[in-house]
Amino acid sequence: MNALPDRYDRTDELVLREPGDGRTLAQRLSRRYASRITGAFVVPGREGSFAPLPEDLPTALAKALKLRGIEQLYSHQAEAWKATRSGAHVAIVTPTASGKSLCYTLPVIAAAMQSNAKALYLFPTKALAQDQVAELLELNNAGELGVKAFTFDGDTPGDARQAIRLHGDIVVSNPDMLHQAILPHHTKWAQFFENLRYVVIDEVHTYRGVFGSHVANVIRRLKRICAFYGVTPQFILCSATIGNPQEHAEALIEDAVTAISESGAPTGDKHVLLWNPPVVNPDLGLRASARSQSNRIARLAIKSGMKTLVFAQSRSMVEVLTKYLKDVFDHDPRKPPRIRAYRGGYLPKERREAERAMRAGSIDGIVSTSALELGVDIGSLDVVILNGYPGSVAATWQRFGRAGRRQQAALGVLVASSDPLDQYLIRHPEFFQGAPPEHARIHPDQPLILLDHIRCAAFELPFVGDEMFGTEVATPWLEVLGEDGLLHREGDRWEWIADSYPAIAVSLRSVADGNFVVVDRTNGRQTIIAEVDFSAVPVTLYEGAIHMIQSTPYQVERLDWEGRKAYVTRTQADYYTDAIDYTKLKVLDCFDSSHAGCGRANHGEVHVVRRVPGYKKIRFYSHENIGYGPVNLPDQELHTTAVWWQLEQQVLASAFEDRQQALDGFLGAAYTLHIVATVAVMAEARDLQKSVGSGDGAWFVSADISGRGRLRGGDGQPTTLTPDAPFTPTVYLYDAFPGGIGQSEPLFHRREDLIAQSITLIERCDCRAGCPACVGPVLATEESAADRRALRIAAHERDNATPKALALRVLALLVAL
Amino acid sequence: MRKLREEAGHTTVASRPVVQLAQHDAPSKKITPTATPLSPELRRLLKRHAHLKREPAPPVSTDRDVPGIELSPGLRYTETCVDWLRPPTIIDAGFARMASVHHDRLLHFDTETTGLAGGTGTRAFMIGAADWIDGRFRIRQLTITRMAAETAMLRTFAGWISDDTTLVSYNGKCYDTPLLTTRYRLARLPNPLAGLAHIDLLHPVRRHWKGQWENCRLATAERQLLGVVREDDLPGAEAPAAWLTYLRGGSARNLRRVAAHNAQDLKSLAGVLVHMARVQH
Repeated sequence: MNALPDRYDRTDELVLREPGDGRTLAQRLSRRYASRITGAFVVPGREGSFAPLPEDLPTALAKALKLRGIEQLYSHQAEAWKATRSGAHVAIVTPTASGKSLCYTLPVIAAAMQSNAKALYLFPTKALAQDQVAELLELNNAGELGVKAFTFDGDTPGDARQAIRLHGDIVVSNPDMLHQAILPHHTKWAQFFENLRYVVIDEVHTYRGVFGSHVANVIRRLKRICAFYGVTPQFILCSATIGNPQEHAEALIEDAVTAISESGAPTGDKHVLLWNPPVVNPDLGLRASARSQSNRIARLAIKSGMKTLVFAQSRSMVEVLTKYLKDVFDHDPRKPPRIRAYRGGYLPKERREAERAMRAGSIDGIVSTSALELGVDIGSLDVVILNGYPGSVAATWQRFGRAGRRQQAALGVLVASSDPLDQYLIRHPEFFQGAPPEHARIHPDQPLILLDHIRCAAFELPFVGDEMFGTEVATPWLEVLGEDGLLHREGDRWEWIADSYPAIAVSLRSVADGNFVVVDRTNGRQTIIAEVDFSAVPVTLYEGAIHMIQSTPYQVERLDWEGRKAYVTRTQADYYTDAIDYTKLKVLDCFDSSHAGCGRANHGEVHVVRRVPGYKKIRFYSHENIGYGPVNLPDQELHTTAVWWQLEQQVLASAFEDRQQALDGFLGAAYTLHIVATVAVMAEARDLQKSVGSGDGAWFVSADISGRGRLRGGDGQPTTLTPDAPFTPTVYLYDAFPGGIGQSEPLFHRREDLIAQSITLIERCDCRAGCPACVGPVLATEESAADRRALRIAAHERDNATPKALALRVLALLVAL
Repeated sequence: MRKLREEAGHTTVASRPVVQLAQHDAPSKKITPTATPLSPELRRLLKRHAHLKREPAPPVSTDRDVPGIELSPGLRYTETCVDWLRPPTIIDAGFARMASVHHDRLLHFDTETTGLAGGTGTRAFMIGAADWIDGRFRIRQLTITRMAAETAMLRTFAGWISDDTTLVSYNGKCYDTPLLTTRYRLARLPNPLAGLAHIDLLHPVRRHWKGQWENCRLATAERQLLGVVREDDLPGAEAPAAWLTYLRGGSARNLRRVAAHNAQDLKSLAGVLVHMARVQH
C-alpha cells in the first residue's frame, strides 16, 4: 500500500462517524478546504405538489397504479395527462427522478386499452429502453391490463420481430433502429403505423448538434411514413433541464408543442460545492490535478457511508479513478466489490449487471462517463462528484441531479480540471447559480445530413412533385441523387432504383460509420471485450495503446483498420497512454470577410487534416511522462466551415521583435478565443476546434513542450521559414463536422465580441506569464527546476514577451478600430 | 455554407424564426415551393462526401424490343405453352409436409427484381407464373418497361390467383412473397398472396441434398435432378442491371435474356416439384 498517494490519513479525520448526509459533509469540506472552494450554494428542497388521479383514467389503470402504491399524481403528471388528452404535442421538462415516465405512460396505456392505439417510444440508449419496458410490464402485470410492450433493438432476435410488429401495443426502440430497421421496412409495420397514436421521445436534450440534426431528419421521415398510412401521431417529448426546451422540442418535430416545466415532485436540499484544486506552482499557474481531488472527496464520502457517484470526462479517466478507489476499497479479493466502473464500450450484459448491483445497494462507489447522465435507474445516491466540467451548465445539473433522496440532503461537487474552460467557469460561480442553462441547437438542414436523409426517405417512399422535406423543397436534392444513379425520374415521381440500402451507410451518431470491436487474445483467447466509436479509435486504439477495461489494462497489439478490429492482450503495465494529435487547415473558399483592426476576419470553407503521430506513456500515480511511441494511422480529413483571423506581414513585423514571438502570440490567442467561443455558441468543446497555421496550408503551429509555438511543415515535421518566405499566421476556429454544423457563422457575426472577451479573459487572469486558464500551459511539468528558474529570470527581464503579453498584442491588433 | 445555400435559393434555419416551423399546420401558408437548382459549390461539397460512385449512363440503343403484347402502357405480357413433363394428377406434397394437391391448382412463380438489398426500395420488374393447362405447361410473364406500370402488373398478377391456389416457388417464402407483399402495400392494393398454401422447394431440397451437392441453388437442383444444362443463361445477379440499362434507354438484349432465364426457372420449378413428389415413395 506504499504506492498509495498523498496524505490520505489526514482526510480521515473528516470521515463522518455515523452515516452522513450531504449537508454535514459539505460543511466539513468547506471548513477544511475553504481556499479550494470557489462557490458554495444550496438548492433548497421542495415540498411535493400533488393532484388526485384523473377521473377519466380507465378504472383498471387507476387500480393498477394503486396496487403499485401510486394513490395520487405529481402536479406535472396530472398536467401532462390533461394536455395529451386534449390532443396537443407535449414537452415535459422536469428534473431527473421526478416521475417523468408516468407523464407519457398514462395516456399511452389508456389509449391502448380504450381504442387499441399503438405507441412508439424512442430512447437514446438500449439500457433506457429496457428499463422502460420493465416498468411498463410491472404496471401491466399489477393491473392485468393486457397491454403488450416490447423493446425493439439490435438485440431483438429475428423470430421475435414479426410478433412485435403485429402484436406490440408499445414498441420501445431508439432513433438508430427507427432509421435503419423500421422506416426502410415500414410495410412490414403497416398495422402498427395505421394505429400509431403516440410517439414518445425521451431525453430530447441529448438530441442536439450533429446527432440531434440527424434525429430531426429521422422524425421528418417518420412523419412522412405516418402520412402514407393516414395517421398524424401525437408527440410527447421529455427533456432534462435545458435553456430552450420548448424551442428545442419544436425544432425537433417541426410543430408547436405545449411545454410543462413545473415539477411537482418533492426533493431534499442539494448542497453544491465548486472546487478548484490548490495551486502547486504559482509561477506556472499549475494546480493539483482534478483527479487527485475527486479521488480524495470520493474516498471521504464512501468512508462516511454515503453512496457516491463520480463522473469522469473520458473512458480512460473512468478506469484510472476506478483503479484508485479499488486500491483503497477492494483490495480484498474474497469480498464482493464495492467500487464499479460504468461506461459505454462495456458489453450490455456487463452494464445490466452493474445497474442491478447499484439498485440493490451493494455498490458504494460508481465511476462513470456521461453514460449515467441519462435516466438509467440505479437507485438513490448521496454524493455526486464531477471530475471536470462536463461541457455545459445543463449537463452539470443533470449530473448533480443523480444525487438526491426525498428526505435527506445530497451533495454535488464540481472539481475543476486544468482545462481552461473549467478554470474560466469555476471562477464564475454565477454561471451555475443564476444563469439559465444552455440552449440545445440543431441544424437539420445541414446539406450533408439533409442529403443523407432525403436519400433514405426516397428509398422508403417515392417523392412526388415538388414535395417538401422538412422546410425545403426536395427536388434539387433529388436531382443530385438522380445523377448519382440512385433515383429514376418518371413523370413527376422520383423512384429508388439502386440495389442498395441507404440507411446502412448513414450513422446518426458519427460521421464515418463502423464501431471497432476490441478482441482479447490473451493466452490464445478470442473474446470481444469492448466496442469503440469510430471517431475515438485514432486516439484510443492505436497500436501500443493501453486500453483499460474495469481498470484492467490491455495493450493494443494490432489494429485492423479495414476490419474494424483491435486485438489486445492483458498487460501488467504501470502506465497509461495519451494520444498526441494535431491538425492543419487550408482555406478553400471565403464566404465573407471584414476588417478586424489592422487585420481581417473571415468566414468560409476549409480543408482540415487531423493526424495522430504518436502517444505519450504516463505512469500511474506519479503521472510522469515515461516515454513516447509512434502511431501509424490514416489521416482524418474533412471539409468544413471556419472563421479565421489574419494579420499582414508588415503589421506583424512592426509589432513583434521576431516571427517566433508572433507565432507564440497567435498560439495563445487561439487558445483564448477557443475558450470564449465555446461558451459563446454553447458548443460541445469537441465540436468546435482551433488551429494556427498559414492561410494556405503550407505550415501550421503546434505548442512544444514549453508552450512555445513550433512551426511544422505540411508533412508534420518541424520546419523553419526562410526570412523572405511569406508569413501570414492565421488563427482558425472550425466546425469539427463535414460541411459544418452551423457554428462558424454565428462566431463570425460575433467576431468583435469574441476578441474583446478574449482580451478581458487574459487581462483578468491571476497568472503572470500565462497559464492553462488563459493562453495555455506555459511550461510542462517535466521541465526541471533549473529551467524554471531560468525562465523566471528571463521572463522578468522581458515581461513584455511572456506568452500572455504576446497573445494580448495579437488580440489588440485585431480589435476593431 | 450559408452563402452557398443562399445561392442555392434556400434560407438558413439560423435566420428563420422558430415559429415558422409550425407551418406544417397550415399548408396554405407554406413557403412557395421553389425548385431552384443547388449551386455548383454546394454540389461539389456533396460530391466530395458522396457514399456511392456515379454510374455511367448506358449508351443509347436502337435495340428496344421487349417481347409481348402491351396490356396497358408500360406493361408487357407474354404467354407460351410448352410440352414439359407429364405431371401426376394429384401431387403428393408430403415431402414438403403439406397435403396432396391437384396439379390444376398449382401456380409456379418467380420474380426478377431490382436487387437484393431488401426493404421498400427493391421492386420486381418481372413476374413469371406458370400452371398446367390441359396437360401443357403455360408460362405467362409480365414485364414493366416503366415504373408507373407496376400497379397494373400487380393487379394483373393478382387476377391469376384464387383462394385455392397453391403457390410453388424456390425460396419464395423468404424472398418473392415478402417482396411482393411490400409492393402491394405500397400500391395500396390487397395482397393476393396472403394466406395461400405455398410449396417452397428450397427447404425440402436442402433437407435431402445439403452436403451432397456443392450448393442447393435451383440451377444445381435442375442439373442434378432433371439433367438440364442452360446455354447462354444470364446470371441472376445481372438481372437488375439488364432492366436498369433498358429503363435508361439502353439495349433490351439482356432484358430478353432475363425473360428466358425466368421461363427456365419456372420449368425447373415444375420439374423439381414433380421429381420430389415421386422420390418420396
